[in-house]
Amino acid sequence: MSVTRRSLLTNAAMISAGAVLPSLANPAKAQANAIRIGVPTGITGNWAALGQQIQRACRLYAKTINAKGGIDGHSVEFVYEDTQGDPAACMRKTTDLIERGGINLITGIISSPESLAVMPRLNDWNALYLATISGAGSLTAANFVPNVFRTCTSGPMRAKTIADWIADSSKKRFFSIAQDYAWGKSSVATFEKLITDLKKEPVGQVLSPLGTKDYSSYIARIRETNPEVLYIAMAGDDATAFLKQAAQYRLADRMQLVTEVLDIVNIKPLADASVGLYGVSQYNFAYDAPGNAEFVRLFKAEYNEIPDTFEGEQWQALEFLAEAIRRAKSTDTAAVRGALEGMEIDSVKGRVKMRACDHQAEQQVFVAQVGKTEGVPYPVPKIIKAYPAEAVVPGCRKDSY
Amino acid sequence: MGSSQVWLNLTLNTLALASLLAMLTIGLTLIFGIMRIMNFAHGALYMLGAYSGIAAAQLLGNFWIGLLAAPLAAAAFGSIFEYTLLRRLYRRDGGSFLLVTFGLSLVLTEAIRLIFGPNTRDVDLPSVLSGVVWFGDEPYPAYRIFLIALGIVVLASLAFVFLRTRLGLLIRAIAQNAEMTHALGIDVQLIRSLTFAVGCAFAGLGGYLAVPLITGYIGMGGAAIIDAFVIVMIGGMGSFFGSAAGSLLVALTQTFGNYYLPDFALVATYLLMICVLLCRPGGLFGEQE
Repeated sequence: MSVTRRSLLTNAAMISAGAVLPSLANPAKAQANAIRIGVPTGITGNWAALGQQIQRACRLYAKTINAKGGIDGHSVEFVYEDTQGDPAACMRKTTDLIERGGINLITGIISSPESLAVMPRLNDWNALYLATISGAGSLTAANFVPNVFRTCTSGPMRAKTIADWIADSSKKRFFSIAQDYAWGKSSVATFEKLITDLKKEPVGQVLSPLGTKDYSSYIARIRETNPEVLYIAMAGDDATAFLKQAAQYRLADRMQLVTEVLDIVNIKPLADASVGLYGVSQYNFAYDAPGNAEFVRLFKAEYNEIPDTFEGEQWQALEFLAEAIRRAKSTDTAAVRGALEGMEIDSVKGRVKMRACDHQAEQQVFVAQVGKTEGVPYPVPKIIKAYPAEAVVPGCRKDSY
Repeated sequence: MGSSQVWLNLTLNTLALASLLAMLTIGLTLIFGIMRIMNFAHGALYMLGAYSGIAAAQLLGNFWIGLLAAPLAAAAFGSIFEYTLLRRLYRRDGGSFLLVTFGLSLVLTEAIRLIFGPNTRDVDLPSVLSGVVWFGDEPYPAYRIFLIALGIVVLASLAFVFLRTRLGLLIRAIAQNAEMTHALGIDVQLIRSLTFAVGCAFAGLGGYLAVPLITGYIGMGGAAIIDAFVIVMIGGMGSFFGSAAGSLLVALTQTFGNYYLPDFALVATYLLMICVLLCRPGGLFGEQE
């Protein structure tokens, strides 16, 4: 018996094709009168760690609200599907949830390309989507659709925050590294324009393909360019790998590192090597607000850990959604959409308003630095300055300033 | 950083990456050479090695324990798999091997995710490896130097076994003509099982060694196996030296490609494969089929 390369490749192709066939399993059967919310998120794949945060927040939310009798007497039920972080798979799973599962409320999609893939269909589906991670500016600008609400911060908002924060610094030369897809590109473009306006100099840029794990060549390029500040727009497992290698090459000794996404999940594996790192903390467990204290208490009791960025962001989205359903007295798409527009809530980040014109939630953005804190065994992002919504949210349906 | 330092930096990066790639592909190519099967589960075993190494190192608080635990765990798991499943398939065609090994890789990956969770994992390096080596005023991670040294030692020992020992002779004999070797009174099955276990052990070791560089994450196996297949194609399927040369070429392309032409980073490796296969359809060290 022998295997030729051709037969091997044919077989390999057949197997790969089989692996992506749609799952035939039905979404969980509905409980009578329950409010069902679809969560097509990354359960496996590059975003699995973020997908876990989404699921943990949803599970805790369902448990908490159902213990109090649900929303106006209706229990809340989440239906999870695995998109593997792939826009095509996300489209398929979302279609399943909506067309076969009869669900009209969607949240928890991770990457911007996945969000952008499903958004054009939402009107035909008569379904709402609350974006909780996807940061690409265009979601609430060029690609705006009425059935999408972004409750989290956007990439341009975070880039603006960092630009404002370094405006006073004497540092002039900036290098950017970002993941090569919608969000990373959007953030770097915004950031470079803003610092150019500040008469500072972007001296170089690298876009790394998603899934890159060896960053040594990029680090060599950064060192050769020798900037004063390195701006990082990376998330997920890639960000962990990059920050780790940056520490091994002692980059922080030569330049200031600022990351647009300062998440516990990325810095935890670095342990003490992450101390001192600056960045944007979209949600911070230590933020002093009544809603946050309660959330952190519930979260610690359930998972014996402090909540990370997207656990907080997802929680904020679910508070928006629940309040909108209460006010609309229904889960009807048009009614909930109407209720969400212009709605203000006291959330885990303080007062947050969902503006009606482009459905971007107006909220403050925190600059944080990694340091040690009492009661947590690993270094965490600590807020050093909060930027109010007025300073960082772009104009309506805009993703630039 | 001056241009000579950039070159030194990139060259060392190439060698460190080549060491990692070689650990993975040599196992793959040995198994192919002697068994004529493409082990799709090799990437999952690489990940199994990484996670068992991390678990052992964390349990005993010692990085070096992981270097022992990772290959042992992968070899043990691989042997059980070979004994219980693969042996039944030797009389069938290559397609059934692909299906079974591919299925195993899915099961194993998912099992690891269920046990360890989806978050990335890391291992603490001992101080001798976590430091830097200075080239002029440029720091270089000591761990990458360690990878290069270890890669050279492993490859040299394997080459010695392959070319200078009776076991190496038998492996080469079985790769050339298993039936004839069997007819001469050699326990072919035993050698096959042994080679499979050794191949898995190297995958496991490679996985654990990759952790301090890229962290351990779900999906590390799938990402690595693609490079490994490309390298095996470039080097020539079943060729030990081809794999070593292929690892070096792919590492060179990726490292220098990412530096000089970052926009072509994704296609560079495949372009290399296409060029090699156009010139030598059997791969650099392989025979044309």
